[in-house]
Amino acid sequence: MTTQQAKEILSAYRPWSADADDPEFAEALSLVRHDAELARWFEEHCEVQSAIRERFKQSAVATGLKEQIISEHNARLKVVWWRQPVSLAAAAVVAVTIGIAALWLRPAPEMPDQINTATYRSRMVGQVLRVYAMTLETNDLNQIRSHLAQQQAPTDFVLPAKLAQTALAGCGVLSWQDKRVSMICFLTGKPLPPGGKSDLFLFVVDRSSLPDAPTGSAPEFNADRRQMVTATWSAGDKTYILATEGDIDSLRKYL
Amino acid sequence: MADGLDFESVVARFYEPLYQFAFSLTHTEADACDLTQQTFYVWATKGHQLRDAAKVKTWLFTTLHRQFLESRRRLTRFPHHDLEAMDYELPVITPRLANQLDSAQVLQALARVDEVYQAPVALFYLEDCSYKDIAEILDVPMGTVKSRISRGIGQLQMLLTDDTSPAGRNAKRKT
Repeated sequence: MTTQQAKEILSAYRPWSADADDPEFAEALSLVRHDAELARWFEEHCEVQSAIRERFKQSAVATGLKEQIISEHNARLKVVWWRQPVSLAAAAVVAVTIGIAALWLRPAPEMPDQINTATYRSRMVGQVLRVYAMTLETNDLNQIRSHLAQQQAPTDFVLPAKLAQTALAGCGVLSWQDKRVSMICFLTGKPLPPGGKSDLFLFVVDRSSLPDAPTGSAPEFNADRRQMVTATWSAGDKTYILATEGDIDSLRKYL
Repeated sequence: MADGLDFESVVARFYEPLYQFAFSLTHTEADACDLTQQTFYVWATKGHQLRDAAKVKTWLFTTLHRQFLESRRRLTRFPHHDLEAMDYELPVITPRLANQLDSAQVLQALARVDEVYQAPVALFYLEDCSYKDIAEILDVPMGTVKSRISRGIGQLQMLLTDDTSPAGRNAKRKT
């Protein structure tokens, strides 16, 4: 093995790991002990890699992420739990007793910085970009409302007039801070992406879930770097987000 | 689910490195949060199929990487790279320069490394995964992992050197 070959192999060597056990690294490392130039290069390499690793490890994690993950998990569990008939019966007995006590004993919930409309919007758009799951596929709004009601998700939403004339694809239920979010899916009429079943999404959540929810019915438009555009507005006790891929004009025609 | 692993303890143990890996891939906080949450959602629904608790970390990183690839496929296709045709780059950054860097500079430089190298490089630095684990997470042969890591860290260090050189800093000021 030449010095150059050893450098090429050792350029992928991590001084903080068990890489030395790898036979290929071990052979190159044995050369380091007998080659002064290679030893100098290797010492620098290790120092540089350790410094860069430290910078990577220092990158801050989004505040409240762990709580958000656990909160959404618990919200999903609650939905599953409530669907069990035996659980329903047991809950009816226990709920009255515990509920009264909880009202008195429950500490005021904390409102971390990330519980805001921007984060909510990003989460919902993220759902659309990843794997949105419609739990009901239908073009019947009454069926959608009925299905959402069964899932304890908002049903008393009001569709803007033009959106109400748009073809429906179905609906699903998401979660935000332990609250149900109704996702109503539409079809713009454009070709759908491979595997896609909808390309226009309305998210409805209780306005009280967002401390900085828009106060008016005039939509606020946002362009997302992930090629999604959104319109956000409030009406009654609900906050709405309409999202699609494209530009802002492609949303205006539904509002 | 693997014995003795409840959801919250798995989250507490792995959400930080998973988020950091996700951020290395997506380069934005919102996308990294989405990806991390989605990974734990998959864990909650399918984690019970994993019997070996020692494999949880690899399972989570593999899942996150697959979710990332899936989301990327919806937006764009990966550029094709002919690995054999690329020039091999030896590290060029000095320890003095490396110690002057901050976390943001390193992450910004990683975002400019060829996409095919970003995940291997992130795993190389962020986690104490063996090469075998990295190969499993990325679903590529071990030789390919080593090759991509070598080239990826070569590119990263070239970019960091450019950024920290006087000429590089001047160029950045003008933009």
